[in-house]
Amino acid sequence: MKKRRFPSARLLLLFFLSAVLILLSAAGSTRATLMYYSENYSVEVAVSNIGVSLLENGEVISCRNYKEDRWAEKTGYLLENRFDDERLVPGRRYPEELSVVNSGAIDSYVRVVLYKSWKNARGGKDTTLFPELIGFEMNLNRSGWIEDRKASTPERAVYYYRYPLSPGQETPALCRSFRLDPSIWKEVTELVSEEENGYRTITTTYAYDGYSFCVNAETDTVQTHNAQEALKSAWGIDANVGADGSLNLQ
Amino acid sequence: MRKYRTQIFFCLSAAAFMLAAGVSTNRSLAYFTTYTSAYGEAVLHLGFTTTEIEEEIEGWIKRVRISNTGEQECYVRVQAFAGKAYQDSLVYMDGSGKWSLGEGDYYYYNDILAPGDVTEELLIQIDHKQREQDFNVIVVQEHTPVLYREDGQPEYNWDIRANTGERGRRD
Repeated sequence: MKKRRFPSARLLLLFFLSAVLILLSAAGSTRATLMYYSENYSVEVAVSNIGVSLLENGEVISCRNYKEDRWAEKTGYLLENRFDDERLVPGRRYPEELSVVNSGAIDSYVRVVLYKSWKNARGGKDTTLFPELIGFEMNLNRSGWIEDRKASTPERAVYYYRYPLSPGQETPALCRSFRLDPSIWKEVTELVSEEENGYRTITTTYAYDGYSFCVNAETDTVQTHNAQEALKSAWGIDANVGADGSLNLQ
Repeated sequence: MRKYRTQIFFCLSAAAFMLAAGVSTNRSLAYFTTYTSAYGEAVLHLGFTTTEIEEEIEGWIKRVRISNTGEQECYVRVQAFAGKAYQDSLVYMDGSGKWSLGEGDYYYYNDILAPGDVTEELLIQIDHKQREQDFNVIVVQEHTPVLYREDGQPEYNWDIRANTGERGRRD
């Protein structure tokens, strides 16, 4: 008859350690889940829904919302049909209010990155023209919007809304209007051609004539929970978070 | 039995490693984020402004009107020249109230002239002083593009100078 052997002490120790490790792992997951969901857990089941909408002059033009286990997206166009009937004139101000709505179900921070550039008639980006001549009348500081100057370039500007947005809440307008700098009228190129009879023909054209100005507004949002880590992870910024949830860039 | 114990040992170690790795991964992906964007563009058609003068002569009165035949709105101004002997005898008359004497002895049209628009008449009366000699009265008209101030209000600059060459471009 074969003698039955009990497991050795080392094997038992391994089982015990494995069980402890599994329990700790499970406890860690549970704790992590509670950290992320605890604020709204007792109130709303769909706490993980995050969403953001970009508004132009009060109308939602683009959004991306997580609803019913999928992303609902809409991508629209800025300035659409704006100049079909009206000529675009450098120097003149055109109403252009951009704002952001928290269209998700959790509190979140938002930022907007504005890109500006010029495009030639063939559709290629022309980096020799000045993007600074495409101007927005910004509504900063008192509105809660701040600019991250360290991250901004002539082609790109990064703006943060300092305060957390509750679900459904809209930010004040980030900008009120846009305007092409009137100095565009002064920028001309001259082409001089010499004719056989000695006459010279000087042809003057506006340097920016026929070019398109392009703008792109990117809106990002990130959860407010574990704000500093979330902001660092999602946007790569170091920010101090006040007791009221307000951000201050470092 | 020793063989089984080794297998159990490796299985448990692998399971423990997977669990530990899984927990770490979940923590780093746990931040909720999303984004959206919108793009827009518009073509800039500058096109040069051109204006034309319309003159009608009735007796010793010239009726002058300026039309904007270009693609951009502009301001216009007018001045008549008749030589030394007659210059002081030119009398400008404005029935519309839209012309006013300004800098450089020009008569300035107060309104912005949109493409296709025509100014109200400016009458220039000529006193020939009963002299029997030929002379010319030449009406000069000029235009300048409408500029806009920072607050969006239109303005003109009759001394505007163009930057030629590559100054409008970045190096």
